[in-house]
Amino acid sequence: MSDPLLALDDVYKSYGEEQVLSGVSFEMDAGDVDVVIGPSGSGKSTMLRCVNRLTEIDSGDIYLDGDCVTDADTDVNELRKQVGMVFQDFNLFAHLTALGNVTLGLRKVRGMDKATAQEQGYEHLEQVGLSDQADSYPAELSGGQKQRVGIARALAMDPKLLLFDEPTSALDPELVGEVVDVMRDLAAEGITMLVVSHEMGFARSAASDIIFLDDGRIVEHGPPEQLFQNPQAARTGEFLSRLETAHEEE
Amino acid sequence: MPPLPLQSDWAFVIENLDLLLVGTGVTVALTAASILLGFLLGFPAGAVEVYGRGPLKRAVETAGVVLRGTPLLVIIILLFFGLSVSSSAFVTATIALGLRSAAYQSQIFRGALQSVDEGQLEAARAIGMGRFQAIRSVVVPQALRRSVPGFQNEFTIVLKDTSIAIVIGLGELLTVGQNLYQGGQSTAALEIFLTVSLIYFVLTFVTNRSLDRLDDHFSIPGGERA
Ligand SMILES: Nc1ncnc2c1ncn2[C@@H]1O[C@H](COP(=O)(O)OP(=O)(O)OP(=O)(O)O)[C@@H](O)[C@H]1O
Ligand SMILES: [Mg+2]
Repeated sequence: MSDPLLALDDVYKSYGEEQVLSGVSFEMDAGDVDVVIGPSGSGKSTMLRCVNRLTEIDSGDIYLDGDCVTDADTDVNELRKQVGMVFQDFNLFAHLTALGNVTLGLRKVRGMDKATAQEQGYEHLEQVGLSDQADSYPAELSGGQKQRVGIARALAMDPKLLLFDEPTSALDPELVGEVVDVMRDLAAEGITMLVVSHEMGFARSAASDIIFLDDGRIVEHGPPEQLFQNPQAARTGEFLSRLETAHEEE
Repeated sequence: MPPLPLQSDWAFVIENLDLLLVGTGVTVALTAASILLGFLLGFPAGAVEVYGRGPLKRAVETAGVVLRGTPLLVIIILLFFGLSVSSSAFVTATIALGLRSAAYQSQIFRGALQSVDEGQLEAARAIGMGRFQAIRSVVVPQALRRSVPGFQNEFTIVLKDTSIAIVIGLGELLTVGQNLYQGGQSTAALEIFLTVSLIYFVLTFVTNRSLDRLDDHFSIPGGERA
């Protein structure tokens, strides 16, 4: 048996008095797409941010490809080269073109020369369907295009794992589809993804597992069929039916 | 028949235009040197105020408060007559104006660095950039652009405040004007000082226009929303 690609083992995190993660454990294998759902404030973003150490955990361990990455002597920059992140608010570099956003890491972190970086950058923009917008600046792009650049930027580093924190929730409804389509393509290509999202269409069709987080604990963790059709915990069913209603009201 | 006083006084200005132009040259050189010194000290100071911590940050903040709270005239007199930092009036004036400008420029850059949203820095860190590199490659280029309007203001202030160097006898534009008027041609006072004012105005106008150009040149297409 090979190691899981990502493993969280009894992870705790608090902010002051507030316990945000209370003993979170799960594993995912290479190629898995796990979708994290849960109410606002349940700790979803915190959990993702602990994986690439934008947030430091209090106790527990996180393993990437067999290596403990929460050791004090782990080089966080090395870790982050292997774990891409896509943000809710895109966080594109405003002074750089789409191509510049994608190539900055290749040049400054991977040390590639400009020509090679641009060549690879184009390929990644192509992968998200934006090679024709290579020279556009973020402010000239639609929300959906911005998020696709954000995905290309993360992909360009050739990470072992991609983290998505509500990648579509800042988008107008009509722009959600283009981003979800790109994420589906990546899932089909076998890219390992840990996705916080309430896009149930994506979860149903692309998720290997769904993780339901509530109040800093994993309440339920299983394949989509199980959670949607036969939730083990009462709270899971309640949360999912509330999601459905909210969706229908839109 | 003696020429009209008015005519003769303008003639006096024109005759001495070469002296006024030399003074203008000193003013321009003093402005450039002071702004440059102010930038070299003020930019790092602003960065320390935003990203620094501990004693260094407190020292920089305190120096800024003291410099901004002291009249320029006092600074320049103190440096020249009190501390005798240099026997050269030009060097002393550059240090005085440069230090004071650094204190103001640090605030321009501090505001500009803080205005770049935190998320971009986080995104840069998330692709594996170190903190220093992320600040340098992502925050600083945007902050410098946003500093241009404040910098433009500071430039104008320094340019006009170079005239304070008159108190230590530096031969800049105002001093030259003053010397001409005191050298026996006191009837030409109005003409001399109008000319001096006009030269300051032209210098200010030209620098402002050039900095406007710079602002346009470096503006980000589509605006700054990422
Ligand atoms: N940097 C921080 N400092 C203090 N408290 C924080 C910080 N980040 C998160 N929290 C708190 O931790 C809790 C969990 O936050 P988190 O952002 O992980 O939730 P979430 O599940 O992502 O919520 P949402 O669906 O609203 O994004 C919240 O109560 C939040 O206020
Ligand atoms: Mg969140």
